[in-house]
Amino acid sequence: MFKIIMMLLSMLIALPGYALDGTALLKQVDRNLSPESYESYRKLINIEPDGRKKEFTLFTVKKGVDKVASLFLAPASEKGRSTLRLGENMWFYIPNVGKPIRITSLQSVVGGVFNNADILQLDYAEEYNVEKVEEKGNEYLLYLKAKTKTVAYDRLKIWADKGKMLPTKIECLTEATMLIKTLYFKDVKDFGGGIVRPAVIETDSPLYKGFKSVMLFAGIKKRTFKDEVFTLTYMPNLESLR
Amino acid sequence: MKSFVQLAILMLVSLLPALGAAEDSYTFDLSETEKKPYHFGGYVEFKPVLFGLDHDAAFYKLRFSQDPKGQTLSELNGKVQLEGSYTGDKYLLFAKTNTDLKHSYAGDTERTAFFEAYGSLKPSSSLKIDLGKKTMKWGKGYAWNPVAFVDRPKDPDEPELAQEGFIVATADYIKSLEGPLKTFSFTPLLLPVYEHVNDDFGNVDKLNLAGRFYFLLYDTDIDLLFLTGGSRPDRYGVDFSRNITTNFEIHGEYAYTRNSRKRVLDANGAIRQVEANSSSYLLGLRYLTSFDLTMIAEYYYNGAGFSGEEMENFFSSVDRAANVFQTTGNDAALNNVRQLTEGGYGRPNPMQDYLYLRLSQKEPFGILYFTPAVTGIMNLQDRSFSLTPELAYTGITNWDLRLRTGFLVGGHHTEFGEKQNDYRVELRIGYYF
Repeated sequence: MFKIIMMLLSMLIALPGYALDGTALLKQVDRNLSPESYESYRKLINIEPDGRKKEFTLFTVKKGVDKVASLFLAPASEKGRSTLRLGENMWFYIPNVGKPIRITSLQSVVGGVFNNADILQLDYAEEYNVEKVEEKGNEYLLYLKAKTKTVAYDRLKIWADKGKMLPTKIECLTEATMLIKTLYFKDVKDFGGGIVRPAVIETDSPLYKGFKSVMLFAGIKKRTFKDEVFTLTYMPNLESLR
Repeated sequence: MKSFVQLAILMLVSLLPALGAAEDSYTFDLSETEKKPYHFGGYVEFKPVLFGLDHDAAFYKLRFSQDPKGQTLSELNGKVQLEGSYTGDKYLLFAKTNTDLKHSYAGDTERTAFFEAYGSLKPSSSLKIDLGKKTMKWGKGYAWNPVAFVDRPKDPDEPELAQEGFIVATADYIKSLEGPLKTFSFTPLLLPVYEHVNDDFGNVDKLNLAGRFYFLLYDTDIDLLFLTGGSRPDRYGVDFSRNITTNFEIHGEYAYTRNSRKRVLDANGAIRQVEANSSSYLLGLRYLTSFDLTMIAEYYYNGAGFSGEEMENFFSSVDRAANVFQTTGNDAALNNVRQLTEGGYGRPNPMQDYLYLRLSQKEPFGILYFTPAVTGIMNLQDRSFSLTPELAYTGITNWDLRLRTGFLVGGHHTEFGEKQNDYRVELRIGYYF
């Protein structure tokens, strides 16, 4: 009898973990947001409190879990600039300067609320462990903790739609759980090739009161690339991939 | 002066659509990203500058003894850069021109040159071959690059300015790997120096060979570099760069030059050529604080630079030559010493030990795209320094505005104390199209 009670108790304890495997949920969210390897066109818009805007258009390529590169297409002042991320290494290439310089994830090459880690985003499951999952009505709430100190935000809280398994909101927090910024995922759209994901990401931050930054997706599709594309030497040549 | 009026009209006309665009709502359609085989763009700049002159300084005497000036001197500078490219499946044709305009006490000047003009062949993603005029920009340093063996020296005061290249044949071979060595690339380069071909690089009638081996090893960028061929003394170098944390980067360069040559003045004012092996190196860091202050700090040792005594001899020669001119009207000695400035004494940071520090605060007081910064360059041998505060604003699409002042501080016979100016105020208005 004692053995049966113990078995039942251990099943009860194990059940929530079995029902909500946070890591599997996070990986599903990652895959629904984008294929592992893809190309995309994005526009970043910084909006000031008085309504003034500044826009940046980027062509982005990603391969595997840790390689991503972006090329600025507009405005003219930024055209030809490119960024590269290999794991935790990040570089920025300015044609005038003529050579890639190392940058850090917390800097921002575009100004405004988006920083380099937001622009060169890797899979969340690559950088974070899921500490806890809660169910909130039609959404899951995933509590994430960075795997290493080199990740831009120490903690994330991701609200994900249960049906679509796509994020609706992400809060980015410091180690002391101070809110750095909030990302809002909107306008779920079919991009073709089985990719259905939010076409708009808005962000605001208590550190930038009244400011807002928006990321718009106009195209995203599966594509494979050679590893050599994701190297410093290739950064001036990203345009040739379009 | 007419060129400046045309430049101003072009920039004003360009401003109108930029201001209007601020009223539009945001949309994004894939048609906006359509790729065309050709590209044309450019940059125009207008830069008025006011110099506060130091009448006791050696470089003032050298330049203005025969034509004295008042307390200040103003000049108008303009720049027009045009670039175009044509891209095929496996090739690229690219050209960039630069025109500098100047209106100063000496009259109007204009200089136009191709900064770059080359063709690229890209047989695969691992191989690229370039032929033509090109800048290479080797090295990891921000203000100085002792391993930039095939580039023109950059101005530490404006390290991000576009530069003129040399005519070269070069290639990039890239290999990505698994394991601690993630990337390897090799860049061989041929640089011919003949009459009318790169003849400002060094000794003519030589075919120089240079190369760079790049490794991304254990998350560290490492380059091994060399130059040989006879136009300049043979040299070898290594550089590195690495992120320590999300907000902290370190970098360094080391260059060894065999039989480095320089022309120096002895205590009697006689010119002699000195030849010796020399080492130069640089150590630097880039640090971002939690409140978005970026700090770039670099220490630079230039083994081929002038010693304190050599610099002192130069300044004493200038004083003597200026005195002779003042008392006799004979400017021969002054002209002789002036020639030496082109041989090294007049270049930026000609001595051996320097410290560079730049602090820039991103968007203080919630003012987006506004970046105040201050830059200091100190000569550690004579303790003289320059201090350059600036205010930059990039909030209007494609416009670049910068107000900058520079103060040069130093005693008698020190590098910055003997510069032509005590201070400088400049406004830079740039427009990209």
